[in-house]
Amino acid sequence: MTPEKITPELFDKLVELAQFALDPSEKEYLRQELNHQLAAVKELSEIPLDPDINATTHGIEVQGAEPRPDVWVPFALPEAIIALAPESEDNLVAVPDVASARKAVA
Amino acid sequence: MSYLTLSAYEISQKVKSGELKAVEMVEAALAQIKAVDGVQGQLDYQQTDPAQDNKVHAFISITEDIAREHAAEVDRKVAADEDPGLLAGVPLSVKDIFCVEKTYSTAASRMLSNFVPPYTATAVERLTEAGALVVGKTNLDEFTYGSSSESSAFQPCPYNPWNPLHATGGSSGGSAAAVAAGETPLSLGTDTGGSIRQPAAFCGVVGLKPTYGRVSRDGLIAFGSSLDCPGPLARDVRDAALMLQAMAGNDPKDSTSSLVEPVDYLAALQQDVRGLRIGLSPDYDHIAYPDTETGEISYQSIQKEVSQAVFDAAEALAKAGAEIVENVPMPNSRFGIPTYFVISRVEAASNLHRFDGVKYGFRTDQPFEDLNELYRLSRAQGFGTQPKLRILMGMYVSAAAHAANYYQRALKVRAMIRKDLTDAFDPRGAYRIDTLLTPTTPTTSFKRKEVFGNSVLMQYSDQMTVCANHAGMPALTIPGGLDPAGLPIGLQFIANDFREDLLFRAGRGYELSTADASWRQVKPLVLREQEVNK
Amino acid sequence: MKNYEIVIGLETHIQLNTQTKIFCGCKADSWESEANTNICPVCSGLPGILPVLNAEVVQKGALLAAAMHAEVNPCSIFDRKNYFYPDLPKGFQITQFYEPIGKGGYMDLTMPDGSQRHVRINRLHLEEDAGKTKIDHGVRLVDFNRCGVPLVEMVTEPDLRSGAEAAQYLTQLRQLLRWIGVSEADMERGHLRCDANVSIREVGSTVLNTKTEIKNVNSIDAVRQGIEMEAQRQIVAVEAGEKIESYTLDWDAEKGTLRKMRSKETEADYRYFREPDLLPVVLSNEEIERIKASLPELPLARKARFVTEYQLNDYDCEILTSERGLSDYYEAAVKAYGGEAKSVANWMINELLRLMKEKNLAASALRITPQDLAQIIQMVDDGEVNAATGKLLVSKVDVTGQSPAEIVAKEGLGAVSDDAALLALVDAVIAASPKEVESFKTGKESLLGWFLGQVMQRTGGKADPKRTRELMIKRLKN
Repeated sequence: MTPEKITPELFDKLVELAQFALDPSEKEYLRQELNHQLAAVKELSEIPLDPDINATTHGIEVQGAEPRPDVWVPFALPEAIIALAPESEDNLVAVPDVASARKAVA
Repeated sequence: MSYLTLSAYEISQKVKSGELKAVEMVEAALAQIKAVDGVQGQLDYQQTDPAQDNKVHAFISITEDIAREHAAEVDRKVAADEDPGLLAGVPLSVKDIFCVEKTYSTAASRMLSNFVPPYTATAVERLTEAGALVVGKTNLDEFTYGSSSESSAFQPCPYNPWNPLHATGGSSGGSAAAVAAGETPLSLGTDTGGSIRQPAAFCGVVGLKPTYGRVSRDGLIAFGSSLDCPGPLARDVRDAALMLQAMAGNDPKDSTSSLVEPVDYLAALQQDVRGLRIGLSPDYDHIAYPDTETGEISYQSIQKEVSQAVFDAAEALAKAGAEIVENVPMPNSRFGIPTYFVISRVEAASNLHRFDGVKYGFRTDQPFEDLNELYRLSRAQGFGTQPKLRILMGMYVSAAAHAANYYQRALKVRAMIRKDLTDAFDPRGAYRIDTLLTPTTPTTSFKRKEVFGNSVLMQYSDQMTVCANHAGMPALTIPGGLDPAGLPIGLQFIANDFREDLLFRAGRGYELSTADASWRQVKPLVLREQEVNK
Repeated sequence: MKNYEIVIGLETHIQLNTQTKIFCGCKADSWESEANTNICPVCSGLPGILPVLNAEVVQKGALLAAAMHAEVNPCSIFDRKNYFYPDLPKGFQITQFYEPIGKGGYMDLTMPDGSQRHVRINRLHLEEDAGKTKIDHGVRLVDFNRCGVPLVEMVTEPDLRSGAEAAQYLTQLRQLLRWIGVSEADMERGHLRCDANVSIREVGSTVLNTKTEIKNVNSIDAVRQGIEMEAQRQIVAVEAGEKIESYTLDWDAEKGTLRKMRSKETEADYRYFREPDLLPVVLSNEEIERIKASLPELPLARKARFVTEYQLNDYDCEILTSERGLSDYYEAAVKAYGGEAKSVANWMINELLRLMKEKNLAASALRITPQDLAQIIQMVDDGEVNAATGKLLVSKVDVTGQSPAEIVAKEGLGAVSDDAALLALVDAVIAASPKEVESFKTGKESLLGWFLGQVMQRTGGKADPKRTRELMIKRLKN
């Protein structure tokens, strides 16, 4: 039996990094599934790698276009973008502040 | 001639000649949708009505106004002797992972259930410019994460038109079902690990994953940016080729879209299979079955009807003049799924960072104290379980402590998987094949709820399709028969970069050589019932 | 008390002066724009939309790398830096973590007291800027205008040893950025931002101790001040036996103080990985050579050349090469003049700089051309106009746009230097001022100046002062 890789503590940290607020039942299901996936993935760390092979960003070597010219192309509807925000004030997107953001340490 | 039997090619010909009107085609599509689709997918839907049990539920939203507007434009062009385009008057459904102006573009998620983008994906724009009529957005696994379309936040999820108790496959399940059920002759899907081909196989239709970069990803809500490929689903190979022709080609808005010029796919179809070298691989005739506790892989045979179908196809093609090359080794293909688990999750986790309740989409309506709480509640409530799983896995395997062991390795293994294929296709190599023939899926469609919840098993249903994604190469699935339960079997052809022409040639050759096969006369249950109920 | 030295490394963010942002066609500079008007789906992180690289950003980034003597990377790669923040719409920043566009490099500082400091550069890389947030009644208000503005981040090794050196580095960097035309480098407008890493150690030690990071300094002087304050604080703390902890310190511009922000020990894990939506940034050898060849003569090299070629002193050269346009102007004037370069230097430093300051214009923006200036100097040399008139001409040419010769002719400004004419004037003044002549003859020799002034008045300032003086003395002593 493969030992579980992700402990409840480590899992909680991942959840915090991912910015989720989960309830306990969902948490346990997710943690189990993650460990099952890791078990399925474990052989990846054991595959003998071909030393001549390099990591690539894409499977195929993309023959893409050159970078674009430095020409201003304004988007016609910037208001439409801000209109998508759940909350805005004076055309600025509004969010609450972070509670501990600018706490000065004496 | 019934709407249900006309191919996209035939429709476009008849609309161009004036024999049919585009507006008629819209109404025909809408009528068929009304007849077989039942309720469209919705948030927080509780399925209780037994009358919905035998419906298809392929769609999340129907866009009849847009379709009618475009249809009027097509008819106007025909009347004015202007070119209405390659797909003139052909009803089209679009997987709801594509941003389309004036439509809800939801990704089948609560996170975007109210999102109406101010732009349209390039692929959809090109199809519309070619005269196609977008009649609706099809349902899918949430954010395309899944192989059954069951994880959609918009229920009911699509049901398989061949047997509504069975899954359509995924994530382009709604697209495959819409085509199989005669709702639209064409559908635009996406394929990241098999998401076009697997549901196409399960639903008995044709599905193509083009070469990575062949079709622009602009406007496609991203899952695995280095793997995602928009592609066509259709009832026959010629229709798939027609649809690819209309949307392939470089797009300056997508830096990863290829400068390689598309060829004439319809011309390629005309060539028969004489001289075509078709490979078979022993590494594709068994399926890997993981033990979810230990991770130990055991190997089992493929469902025997599926195996048989591949064998029969090879025979039929040989009879038609193709050369069958056996024992083509694909030794690294068994690492396809583990590699996919890592690469796709890393990219997915990052791609989903932007959904945070701040700029668009879902924001929690529970009270929050501060910014972090806003993020946590919005993301927890907006995302279903599958996206959360993808995000957590992605974060784990790309964390600084693990990246070398997982992510960096997976990138190298991907290159090794590709090398198996390039070696096989190498004109100076030992095998020199033009295309590799494999089953599309290890089994035919499974029952709904049978696999859902077991994320590992669900992922492994993509094991035959995923290697083409890693390699970036094009792959086509075509119907190859029915199993004893009457469920469709899919045959897959894989070819080298930008050789969709070879895929079409092989697929068409198979279609012609089996044109009289009795299984081709069998229709999906939903259509048979419709016939009976007339 | 032991002898401590301060160890400083600087991290600068330089806003490139391209037309458009790094990954989309919005304007690169929107200082004047209303909030959220300079945005598009790419820079505001809408789903499904992809970044497209600006070619000019690559050119300017490579040019800067070359100017800093760094190795220009023929294949640099974009990576994603993942974290959550409202002013980061995609939830990741596209940057270059593993393969930056420039590796290594250096800048040689010359301090005012003549001492030198060789500052090594660790790396230069391209990245996109985030938006701006302002906090109002507990609410964060986000403006995405600045998202996607192209930045070069440049990191030095911890080679600086004082707040003054840090200030010098920034001064020279600012000069260089403007010199090669890649950035306006105006710190007040955020074109040039600087974070300073500060630690101390005993003189002679080579160990690097725990450092603190100073952020949010908005002027070169504030950088110097902040560093000095922090170094002092660390010395006091260490002397008192305390341990230095790795904090981030925020500079309060109003109060001129530093505030501890947060501990740096929990470094976020940004999970860097290659940006799959972009291709590698490839520069061929030919392109890199072309970019290097396109570099103009750089400030330090030009200054050194001025010292030897024009035989000027260090201080004058410092001024003349403070800005590229000014040094180009100087050289053009020297060429047009053909005489002693020192003479031109004096006229430039005294008269032209004065004019530039008055009008708040760069030399190249003035109407008076280098050729005009050369002509004026020549005319003074020849005695055609006197020095005072020459100075006047500088302004007049700039105002009217006419050549010096034209103005002199039109306004009759030619110097009066004809002996006969001068003698006539001298005699006239003497005749008209018997009292003053009397005073002079009885010993008040300082009245000579007054007599000369009288002649000047009668000639509208055009009399040749030297000759007039000679003749006046001759007559008075007669």
